[in-house]
Amino acid sequence: MTAAIELVNVTKRFGRRTAVADLTLRVPVGEVFGLLGHNGAGKSTAIGMMLGQIWPTAGQVRVHGWDVTTHRARALARVGAIFETPAFYDYLSGWRNLEIFSSYTAPVSRQRLAEVLDWVGLTGREHSAVRTYSHGMRARLALAQALLPEPDLLILDEPAEGLDPEGIHELRQMLRRLHRDMGLTLLVSSHQLGEMEQLCTRIAILRQGRKVYDGPWDRMGTNEGRIRLEVSPFEQAVAGLQAAGLVREGGRDSEGGWVTPAPGVGTEQLARWLVQAGFALHELRRPRQTLEEFYLSLIQPAREGSEERRPMASARAEGGVVA
Amino acid sequence: MRFLIHLRSELWKLFGKKRTYIGFGMFLVAQNAMLLAFRFTRWQQDMERLLEGNGYLAQEFISALTVAVVMLIPQILLLMPLYTTLVGGDLVAKEVEDGTLRMILARPISRLRLLAVKWLAGALFALALVLVLGATALLCARLWFPWKGMFVFAPGQAFAVLSSEVGLQRYLLAQVFLAVNAVTMLSLAFLFSCFNMKPAAATILALSYLFVNLVLESIPFFDRYEVWLLPHHFRCWLRVFDTPIPWWEILQSQFVLLGAVATAFVVGAVGFQMRDFKS
Repeated sequence: MTAAIELVNVTKRFGRRTAVADLTLRVPVGEVFGLLGHNGAGKSTAIGMMLGQIWPTAGQVRVHGWDVTTHRARALARVGAIFETPAFYDYLSGWRNLEIFSSYTAPVSRQRLAEVLDWVGLTGREHSAVRTYSHGMRARLALAQALLPEPDLLILDEPAEGLDPEGIHELRQMLRRLHRDMGLTLLVSSHQLGEMEQLCTRIAILRQGRKVYDGPWDRMGTNEGRIRLEVSPFEQAVAGLQAAGLVREGGRDSEGGWVTPAPGVGTEQLARWLVQAGFALHELRRPRQTLEEFYLSLIQPAREGSEERRPMASARAEGGVVA
Repeated sequence: MRFLIHLRSELWKLFGKKRTYIGFGMFLVAQNAMLLAFRFTRWQQDMERLLEGNGYLAQEFISALTVAVVMLIPQILLLMPLYTTLVGGDLVAKEVEDGTLRMILARPISRLRLLAVKWLAGALFALALVLVLGATALLCARLWFPWKGMFVFAPGQAFAVLSSEVGLQRYLLAQVFLAVNAVTMLSLAFLFSCFNMKPAAATILALSYLFVNLVLESIPFFDRYEVWLLPHHFRCWLRVFDTPIPWWEILQSQFVLLGAVATAFVVGAVGFQMRDFKS
């Protein structure tokens, strides 16, 4: 199956600085793909190369199977894009802006323009000058212009930057609708890990221009360390579990009780033992690893200059590739 | 068809901006200021003395056509380069600065096509500027001066006395060559605008280039090299008032100017094509 986006051994150097180094990336059709990384990690450069705005120094960039460098028009025919700070002709109306931007792909009918404006909730303000729009309205106009070519693929570079929490929520809902209702493939680059966690089905993490992880997020592993446990009475239950050789240690922290299970012991064995021993079991769960935890496990070691710490083993086991 | 739609978009952008109209407004202000000066200073007496000293009936040639040309000369020398390079410098660099170019370049339009429609929109602006300048100069002059014969005098460059009919024809013909001048000036700023610089820098570089040409030309030693300098060719519009019209010299100048325009576009296009556009 043709990937929506494919980067093969792509390198980009600006003078002596390498912004992206030997990056190979595949965004499958139908995914919500997150591109993560610190400032200067190479995310925007990678997106620039996908859109033919930045020429790669080496390697190949293909969109919908077409090489962007040599067949830019075909590659981008069904691509919409939104950037960190949506830029418009502020002195023109929203409607006129959409007419201008869409004309560079293909002219659209007035009906289609009205439909898209309605979809993003700008009906009634379309003939006002863009300089009178709020930040949220500009973000919606940016989405409208990206949707006008009726894209299969939407590329979003830091789309939530500068939006208030309500705007971020609104944007997330819109992107979900686009993925669910229209079947769009989305490539989203963002710093907002919480947002990415809720939105993405697959992620790639860049660090200093190199890919350090590429794989599915929804199947990414749970935290293999502590298990959250709420049981009464807590101390006796932990002592019993230790005596039975099921846990190595236990205790309480700000989030409540926890235990570290012995190797090979699962939550179902702990639950069975606690119930059979007559303890009142209120909660027993293996906390899911957050994207932030996973991201920091990859990014922080290098930043601190310490020896690189490998992310959770389960992430690799579930199909992700840690470089 | 698609090219015309792209051109329409560029024209919407260009003529939607207030700063595009600065040139038109300033030409009107300058013309009215000059007309007041002509009307209420010793200019008329000086002009009459000059005509009568050459054996002409002065009253027959102090006319709207004469005043229109007198007004055009300083405006073309000083104001036209300023306003054409202002717009030319904005064409690409302002869009890069504002971030709108990045939005456009996310679309499946080739860079060469984009640049071609931008340049064409700029050229249409330059054409409009010249037409408005020529028309308003004549109309404003007609409000204050009678419709009679035409007298053209530019020290060392032109001395012509023409009937009103011939004068009007030559005046209209001069607008064609003035339009080429304006497009050339705009193309110079457009060339710099295609490279990585601020719009003001593109405008200043183009103006500097033109003024350096002008300065070099005014140095006696460079007289023999004047054909290599653009201002020499810019002045060919004044030659249309000569009798007979020196067509070959005018055409030579037009070829040089069109060559400069083509060179500016090609060099700009190569620079633009090679650039990376990043936020």
